[in-house]
Amino acid sequence: MTTIDIELLSVSKQFGSSHIVDDISLAIPKGKFVSILGPSGCGKTTTLNMIAGFEAPSSGLIRIRGRDQTGVPPEARKIGLVFQNYALFPHMTVAQNVGFGLRMQGRRREDIAEGVSRALKSVHLEGFEDRYPKALSGGQQQRVAVARAIAPSPSVLLLDEPLSNLDLKLRETMRVELKEIQEDLGMTFVYVTHDQEEAMAMSDRIIVMQGGVVAQEGSPADIYGRPRTSFVADFIGKSNILPISAVAEPDRSLRVYVGAAKVAMKAVAVNNLAPENARFCCIRPEAVRLADAAGALDEPVNRMTGTVQKVVNLGAYLEAWMLIDGDIILKSMIRSTRIDKLTAGCRVELAVAHSAVQLLEQ
Amino acid sequence: MNRLLTYLFRVALAAILAFITLPLVVVFAASFSPTSAVTLLPSEWTLKWYAALWDRRWLDPFLLSVELAVIVSLASGLLGVLGAYSVAYAKCPGHTAIMAFLLSPMSVPQIVKGVAIVLLLSSAGLYDLLGTPGLVMAHVILTLPYVVRMAATAMFGFDKRLDRAARILGASVAQRIRYVLLPLIRAGLFSGMTFAFIISFNNIPLSVFLVRPGQTTLPITVINHLEYSLDPVLAAVNVASLIFILGAIVLFEKIGGFSAQIHGGSK
Amino acid sequence: MAVITCSTPTKPLRAVPAGGLLPLIAPSIVLALFFAIPMGMMIGISFQSQSAGGLTFASYSRFFGNDLVLAGLVRTVIMSGLVAVCVTVLAYPLAYYLARATSRWRTVIFALAIAPELAGVVLRTYGWLIILEDRGFINSALMWTGLISEPLPLSKNLFGVVVGLTHVILPFGVLSLLTSLQSINPNLERSAQILGASRLAVIRHIILPLSVPGIVSSLLIGFTMAASAYATPALLGGAGFKVMATMVYEQVLFYLDWPFAAVMANVLLVLMLAAGFVGSRLESRLHQKLHI
Repeated sequence: MTTIDIELLSVSKQFGSSHIVDDISLAIPKGKFVSILGPSGCGKTTTLNMIAGFEAPSSGLIRIRGRDQTGVPPEARKIGLVFQNYALFPHMTVAQNVGFGLRMQGRRREDIAEGVSRALKSVHLEGFEDRYPKALSGGQQQRVAVARAIAPSPSVLLLDEPLSNLDLKLRETMRVELKEIQEDLGMTFVYVTHDQEEAMAMSDRIIVMQGGVVAQEGSPADIYGRPRTSFVADFIGKSNILPISAVAEPDRSLRVYVGAAKVAMKAVAVNNLAPENARFCCIRPEAVRLADAAGALDEPVNRMTGTVQKVVNLGAYLEAWMLIDGDIILKSMIRSTRIDKLTAGCRVELAVAHSAVQLLEQ
Repeated sequence: MNRLLTYLFRVALAAILAFITLPLVVVFAASFSPTSAVTLLPSEWTLKWYAALWDRRWLDPFLLSVELAVIVSLASGLLGVLGAYSVAYAKCPGHTAIMAFLLSPMSVPQIVKGVAIVLLLSSAGLYDLLGTPGLVMAHVILTLPYVVRMAATAMFGFDKRLDRAARILGASVAQRIRYVLLPLIRAGLFSGMTFAFIISFNNIPLSVFLVRPGQTTLPITVINHLEYSLDPVLAAVNVASLIFILGAIVLFEKIGGFSAQIHGGSK
Repeated sequence: MAVITCSTPTKPLRAVPAGGLLPLIAPSIVLALFFAIPMGMMIGISFQSQSAGGLTFASYSRFFGNDLVLAGLVRTVIMSGLVAVCVTVLAYPLAYYLARATSRWRTVIFALAIAPELAGVVLRTYGWLIILEDRGFINSALMWTGLISEPLPLSKNLFGVVVGLTHVILPFGVLSLLTSLQSINPNLERSAQILGASRLAVIRHIILPLSVPGIVSSLLIGFTMAASAYATPALLGGAGFKVMATMVYEQVLFYLDWPFAAVMANVLLVLMLAAGFVGSRLESRLHQKLHI
């Protein structure tokens, strides 16, 4: 059994009458990379601040390493935190910044120096010890912030949107590096972000938050492949979300009627959802294929005819909007090599696997 | 038309700058002039007035003024940091009212503050406090608002996330003040203290009520002489004390580094 | 696993340590002892009389019944008003230059404009005495050229005092105008020029109206600093030139008439506060009017 590093038990946070965080319970396993993902205002930053101790829950309990943290101030929680804007001390050199936590523990000078060089080594920033933060690029400041947080070897590292100030290229490099650092150190990372790609790329587990509650929790593959609600399906990746009514067939398969035109499709139930509770279905664009290319699929498919409405060239892929039965629009991702088949107005045969039509609760 | 205006503007600027510098130049020239009759370009130059400064008549008031300025800048620095901490950093309840209270001496003219303090000491029979103790009290009241304001400005500009960062790294309140807050407001604090030093050293309107024979500050000694004569030695005194002030500023700057750019600041 | 019980709600942790009021103790005691209490006493003393006990307005009626003293009050107001205007007029071109210049001369001129403040009042007053007195720099020069036979009365009168005080207060005027002028977007001037305005029209229609708040604060600072100045009127005005500040000083140190000195100090204080009140009202009015 994995040990639990951070535990939230029915934690709520209210400011006045508004519930920022509403009765959430979480268990964050030791040594994992866990992302708390959600749009702004979903309560993820408040959750992080409550774990760090900057804000106290209105009700509920937070345990870190099995201990109740009620009344424990941030300075005594022994956790690391990487701030969105890094919050590097401008009057201290890189080495002094990174060594600050160790110095506060009253460590000996040699221990501090050793801890600093170890932390800087793990973020690949050796040789920058005597620079001041101002003399560093954004990416380097980011690394110093990480080094400063990991230098005292906390068991848990919280990261508050740490990559949001970097440009796209650097963000992609840092994703890989952060994941490597986390694996090397075996530290628990709790990563708060609104960027679903970032969360998908790095996490072992993703907690999707919406309006102060947990919308869904699971591995990246779970969250992407089996979204529970239309919010999750829409927020993570691209998807076609269509209103449906669903009926269970005698052979235990599912038949759904999509949109006003009641286009019939076969579907599968995920997350043990009863068909009478399903209001929408989700079809990922990459699951909408041209019928002649779907022959390789060894699973049953829904076949339908669509009219190409418009095509957007995304480089490796084309995003094509298909009109089905004059009513519903399916966005599809199709390899650019098929561009000759797709011009606006032409009719194409489409195939969507039964398993790709997934029912959603709401 | 526009060219004429530009020309007139430059002439006006030059005239104003001449007005500003003229008295300083005149005093400077007078301090090297052998006779007491003042001309801008004396035919001979002498250092005898500067030599005459090495005399208890001038040294004692100078030393008193220095002592006073040092005590006043230290005291108002300490008190100012405490006040600014409550108002601008801890933002304690009612901090705007408290700030107004701390700045209130500014809205009272110096001469009125001086009368108030001398009346207090006289009616309480505390004549012994005239001289240095009274001068310190009065000057601290005068300089405290400036130091509070400069320190508070520095603290208002302090990035609270740095405090959080230090906190999560395990720093206690005392450690956060010692290692994060104070170094970052040092420039603001030191410029306030430098200001206090200069104000105290040059002060007349408060000191004039509180000096006593044998405990007289340098500016008061000088005006007491000025009422009777334009002795050129006074020019030398003035130039020397200006040089002292400039030296003190350089020294404060060395310690406090208030003009040096602080390295960075997180974005 | 055991049943989870909710912890009792806790007070939100403050981002900064509590006990924020504690450090205030020391500065509050100092301010109370050496400022608030003396000020209160001074106001109290003004309602006493030297001879009789109890509360009395005797000292106030003496103040307002004394022509010499009232003349001093009027002289103070006239002198301060003149100084306020002179300071503002001289500071304006300097501040405008400093607000707009980008050349390396800017630093030099800024230093020249502000540095005299370091020299203290005594040095500058001494300088003006040398320049303005009867056998001084200007008079000897004019007499040497034969333009005049008698020295012009340049010091020991209102003229000398206004010149000296203007010089002393000028840097403050420059700073308050500079703040205001720097806040005017230079693109406003450029767009006025593009629309065909001459330099003069730009100043008349753009710069002057937008810098009115700075002008008001410069006038205000000039007036209040001049009205409470002591050394310059005492030295450049001579024995016959009495203003409030010098009269207060005489009452305290020569006549030892404390109630009367307290009355004078209070009148001076009220004059200051009134000027400050009018000035700040005017400023906020203008801010509203100009939508700044």
